[in-house]
Amino acid sequence: MKDYRIEFAKTGSLRYISHLDLNRCMIRAIRRSGLPAWYTEGFHPHLYLMFPLALSLGAESLCECMDVRLTEEVPEDEILTRLNAALPEGLRALRVGTPGREAVEIGSAVYEITLTGQDVRVRWEAFLAQESIPIEKKTKKGMKTVDIRPQITQEAVEETPDGLTLTLRLPAGNEGNLNASVVTDAFTAFTEGAVQCRRICRTKIFCLDGKVFF
Amino acid sequence: MLKDKIEAHLLEVQRPSRYSGGEVGQVVKDRDKVDVRFAFCFPDIYDVGMSHLGMKILYSLINSRENYWCERVFAPWPDYEAVMRREGIPLYGLESRDPIRAFDFIGFTLQYEMSFTAILNMLDLAGVPIRQSERGEAIAPIVCAGGPCACNAEPLCDFFDLFILGEGEEVNLELMDLYRTMRDAGATRSAFLREAAKIPGVYVPSLYDVTYHEDGTIEAVTPRDGAPAVVTKRVMTDMDKSFYPDSVVVPFIEIVHDRVSVEVLRGCIRGCRFCQAGSLYRPFREKSPETICAQGRALCESTGYDELSLSSLSTSDHSRIREVLDDLLCYTAERHINLSLPSLRVDNFSKDVLEKVTTIRKSGLTFAPEAGTQRLRDVINKNVTEEELMRTCTIAFEGGYTQVKLYFMMGLPTETDEDIEGIADLAQKVVNLFYDMPGRAKGKLQVSISTATFVPKPFTAFEFEPQVEKDEIIRRQQVLRRAIKSKKIKASMHVSDISQMEAALARGDRRLGAVLYDVWAAGGKLESWDEFFDAQRWYAAFEKNGLDPAFYANRTRPYDEVMPWDHLDYMVSKRFLIRENELAHQGVTTPSCREHCAGCGANKVLGRPCFPKEGDA
Repeated sequence: MKDYRIEFAKTGSLRYISHLDLNRCMIRAIRRSGLPAWYTEGFHPHLYLMFPLALSLGAESLCECMDVRLTEEVPEDEILTRLNAALPEGLRALRVGTPGREAVEIGSAVYEITLTGQDVRVRWEAFLAQESIPIEKKTKKGMKTVDIRPQITQEAVEETPDGLTLTLRLPAGNEGNLNASVVTDAFTAFTEGAVQCRRICRTKIFCLDGKVFF
Repeated sequence: MLKDKIEAHLLEVQRPSRYSGGEVGQVVKDRDKVDVRFAFCFPDIYDVGMSHLGMKILYSLINSRENYWCERVFAPWPDYEAVMRREGIPLYGLESRDPIRAFDFIGFTLQYEMSFTAILNMLDLAGVPIRQSERGEAIAPIVCAGGPCACNAEPLCDFFDLFILGEGEEVNLELMDLYRTMRDAGATRSAFLREAAKIPGVYVPSLYDVTYHEDGTIEAVTPRDGAPAVVTKRVMTDMDKSFYPDSVVVPFIEIVHDRVSVEVLRGCIRGCRFCQAGSLYRPFREKSPETICAQGRALCESTGYDELSLSSLSTSDHSRIREVLDDLLCYTAERHINLSLPSLRVDNFSKDVLEKVTTIRKSGLTFAPEAGTQRLRDVINKNVTEEELMRTCTIAFEGGYTQVKLYFMMGLPTETDEDIEGIADLAQKVVNLFYDMPGRAKGKLQVSISTATFVPKPFTAFEFEPQVEKDEIIRRQQVLRRAIKSKKIKASMHVSDISQMEAALARGDRRLGAVLYDVWAAGGKLESWDEFFDAQRWYAAFEKNGLDPAFYANRTRPYDEVMPWDHLDYMVSKRFLIRENELAHQGVTTPSCREHCAGCGANKVLGRPCFPKEGDA
């Protein structure tokens, strides 16, 4: 028995697949690939697959991870080849290794966000210059107002012919999670629709100690 | 580009991957290198349509021809329809995301009557004129349909160029071949339709004139321009040689029937007198165990599914089902695949087989006695006895099951209050059985009764029968409620005007085209969904067109009346149906086809008896 961590990209139309659907899709892909997957014991055995961090519907990613357990050791490049042959367009296994850091250690993620519209840079700076950015958040106890401003770290900003590409670092994982779409929704609302969000893509996952997750 | 327009708005709707395609198993071809493009349309949402086996077969069949391309199209849920109309996104094929109005064929499958309004809406979303008469002489797109409701698609005649009767594995390609030749020669739509009508199984409604008596019944249906007086359905005579896909599209979202299926047989030997499918799909034909197992393995391997279903109208009637199960169970057990037999008659099986197959989700068992008393079960020829039900329940209770679901129909011909009370009695006997068992499972017993209103259908022994009216159904439901004494019995009954509309459409004639159009124009789209069905819309449309749903649904039809579908031949003779109707009223059963041939006429296509006896050549 051996555990492997597989990094994969989820792009294009596959961004419309929810986390639950992705899980089912990966299970079927592993079954098609013929890799010797390990199944749980018990009355309803199922293929063991674990995703350390979910990706919200609508976002693309170049750094998703899943952990799979195989009944025997298989060369990493063989895992990559066989899995990629079974994956649909939009899902691509990039790297295989041994699981190191655990899911609970995840602390933040970096997102590349493509925005288009008028005066995007000026509006973005004004948005970020606010003392607080209150957001209505649905919790178990009803609606709650949360200030997301302290959670947004801007790592880079680059002007494009029709807008702006932002690189933001946002909290991720068990300790607190902020969806990139919450930020972009707040921003487009702030601009009263003058700016549109074209693409959100997760590019890196970090641990609480600042080191790269995988 | 349409693709960008679609993607710009997909995040506004629920379950966006219904509309984005890209699944494993989809077939994408180079649009510049194909000759004929076919839009296979299911007039309901993705989740429902993707579960349909016929679509999977025909999709793969058409795509097996290099120069033909078949794509999938489903009805959008209202949230996405609003986006499509607002943004000017026409109905498109999921594979290419090209608008289907530019396709050669727009083909619908007719699975249930209440989906008809969705067809009109899909044509409108596609930007294709809804009425056939408004499509002009350009040959494309040909709007066609097949499936069970094509056996009486008269209410849809205004909207379709042609219908395909029976099984499509051969005729679909014959039709596409003819189209390709004639289109390349510059033929018009009407010239093509006249030629298409010569292909056996192809029904071109515009080539038939219908005249009516003063009382509204049909006087005659007269063919024109060389169209045949009777159109006969197509049948695949050898199931082992009939096309079957070795791969299917694997949806991302969870769909209604989320599994791969191998069809093990076609037809049914049981002869239940209310059952349309049992009649339409005759004669009975089996696949060999070798074919079934090979097809099942191929599908599991190409899709990665962990559930394989052996489907048919009555899988346990396969003469070699034990061989099939023994062979397949060896394969599936090793690979963590559940084998499911949705239409299993549990009575045929021993306990050990039952334990190995997933006939049911653990804890629930379903059973369809259909009627509450043996007398009424004899009338409908549902050859299930109380002892069989009790035996099955005993096996199930011993196996730890605590929930039993019983399905019944209400409003069956000759039904009395005694039969209704019989439903409660039967459920009570199941309850008593459970509590009388010494080694019964712990846990709460629940016996659920579900009743549906009977809808008489064409090509059944009950095609002559009136549907019982809603008020009387409500009264009978009260009789049932009063007859239930145990708190362990839960009855779910609901009445809806949907049943009457379904009955009217099922046995309707061409005049209902105007009703369908008006219902659609008044906003009727996904009318098979309870949450969208609006009875007022239907009654208003009937009234506006001077028609009465009761004329179609609730009237006894004499044996010699010309039925709207009498010019269509499903190989089951009218004489047989009349004989079965008479036997029903006498309470006399007809044995299964395997025991004794009832002479329905469907075996003619095979050129032999369905079940050759020893010594037969």
